[in-house]
Amino acid sequence: MSALQYLSDGFLLALQWHNLLYAFIGVLIGTAVGVLPGIGPMSGVALLLPVTSSLTSGSSPEEAAASAIILLAGVYYGAMYGGSTTSILLNTPGESSSVVTTLDGYQMAKQGRAGSALSIAAIGSFFAGLVALIALVFLAQPLAEVALSFGPAEYFSLMVLGLCAVSGLGGKSMTKALIMTIFGLLLATIGIDSVSGVSRFTFDIPDLYQGLEFLTIAVGLFALGEVFKTIMEDNGGAQDIIRVGRVLPTRQDLKDSAAPIARGSVLGFFIGVLPGAGATLASFFSYIMEKKLSKHPERFGKGAIEGVAGPESANNGASGGAMVPLLTLGIPGSGTTAILMGALLMYNVQPGPLLFSDHPQVAWGLIASMFIGNVMLLLLNMPLVKVFAKIIDTPSQYLLPMIIAISVFGVYAVQVSTFDLILLLICGIAGYYLAKNDFPLAPLVLGLVLGPMIENNMRRALTTSNGDFMVFINKPISATFLVIAVLWLVIPMLLKMRGKKVIINEEG
Amino acid sequence: MNKTFDRYASVVFAAIGAFFVVSSRTIAESAYGSQVGPNLFPLILGIILILLSARLMFETRSYQQKEKEEAPHNLKRFLIMVFATLLYAFFLEDIGYIISTSIFLFVGFQVMGNKTWWKSALVAVLFTGAVYGLYVEILEGSLPGWPTWFGL
Repeated sequence: MSALQYLSDGFLLALQWHNLLYAFIGVLIGTAVGVLPGIGPMSGVALLLPVTSSLTSGSSPEEAAASAIILLAGVYYGAMYGGSTTSILLNTPGESSSVVTTLDGYQMAKQGRAGSALSIAAIGSFFAGLVALIALVFLAQPLAEVALSFGPAEYFSLMVLGLCAVSGLGGKSMTKALIMTIFGLLLATIGIDSVSGVSRFTFDIPDLYQGLEFLTIAVGLFALGEVFKTIMEDNGGAQDIIRVGRVLPTRQDLKDSAAPIARGSVLGFFIGVLPGAGATLASFFSYIMEKKLSKHPERFGKGAIEGVAGPESANNGASGGAMVPLLTLGIPGSGTTAILMGALLMYNVQPGPLLFSDHPQVAWGLIASMFIGNVMLLLLNMPLVKVFAKIIDTPSQYLLPMIIAISVFGVYAVQVSTFDLILLLICGIAGYYLAKNDFPLAPLVLGLVLGPMIENNMRRALTTSNGDFMVFINKPISATFLVIAVLWLVIPMLLKMRGKKVIINEEG
Repeated sequence: MNKTFDRYASVVFAAIGAFFVVSSRTIAESAYGSQVGPNLFPLILGIILILLSARLMFETRSYQQKEKEEAPHNLKRFLIMVFATLLYAFFLEDIGYIISTSIFLFVGFQVMGNKTWWKSALVAVLFTGAVYGLYVEILEGSLPGWPTWFGL
């Protein structure tokens, strides 16, 4: 069957009424989560992870996986979009990928063009989603076929490359990012070894035999961590929200932003495909590019609509692009996609090249639902922008304890163990202190998700080579991956030594 | 950058690395049919973690110690919330979801600066009831609703 045939099957799946409902709920909650101060896309997806698993518990595993991932992906896009709403109206970016949007978006809002900025952001996101969808359809299957020819050695090196890329761009200090990556990989070794059946680092505690639960750690680190941050550092100063006037953009606005949207979408997609370089970098590069290409670069920073249209398209394009390595190679390139991958693994669906042959419904259903999610975002956001802007006012004294309660409820509903609740709290506290001191959390989650796979592939490769480590270097593809991995770490280090400022990708 | 925190962190991470190195030595060194045992991966990772921690410790030497520019922190509020969450997590199974969540939310709302106690209580009870009702009645999930000794 051709890719288009699969895609139409995917649309049939995504258009089933309950999946439409899940996509709608996902986008709605995602936008709300993105608008709310203190929870970004990562914590939003983490927070809803247990909720979706209980929502979908009635259906067959494969259907449940498709529905859950449709909902979570909706949350992801919604939160990305919601983040830009606060950037424009409040000058406070909801997440790091919309930092750039504040530069011109807030200025536009001050000039009374908040509605135009918001709707251009929605249109740009929609268009970028479309571009990402088309590119995914054409790229996914061929890439998956290439990846199928990989042996364990190639896979091991590819995953090392993925981890190095994320660590290299992962935060203010590469050392800290690497520490977090290794720590995540180590945490993944706890439990009963799947190959030999030996229990490792369990101290005979029954709760540890299955290993540390990914869900608990993700919810703890991201959702609770961010709540604790707000509790500790937010002093509840009320901010002035700019009123949204006319929502539809003018003809001139559309004309001005058409080219930036197109460029941003394509640029964003390709940056998103690269592991480690996520939405934040994409929006940053797009802004720089628009400023360079513009005939009036002096208007940037004073309310140029191009400065909103480009970056907003780019960050959405990047989140679509990030799906490529996740679905075809089984390697998440960012914290959020790592959580999505954890969700798939919870349903026994292994992302990777076999996903397209083993679970075509899940893969193509997700791709189709990306499109539907984007349509919903557009339909939802144009009329509801004013409503969402009101969510910013939610009193935090109610919101924060509720988020804690939802985290506890979610983890308990899935795990049914007090041990996991205590672990959740520990992860929340650790998440707050680590993030506060520039220890990035995304690499840890990535290590935790990839740990078992990276270890199994390493052991398989070493078993076939009788314990000879040269196997990773003797195979040309594997060696290439390892060289790129090393370069990814060394080049930024060299640049830093020469005094250049290296752009980093915070969160993602 | 916080010099003190990073120093402590590097010591802690080095200790974690050392722990994994030491305890992986007690794990079997080979698996059936393979020379590569379950001990190898954690052993290598542990060593890398120790090296990275050493590097972090080295890097802290060149930090410029900033002047105190700490924003006013709500340490007390934070500690109370952490403690409340701990008690909530610990007693959830014993006293059931409904009572524990209502109490936790009420305390949380008050600690976070809600002035009127009856509003906190109302929202806490409504929220708990909504979550419980939605999950148990509509989605047919199972949660320990009331303490078992209630006999409900």
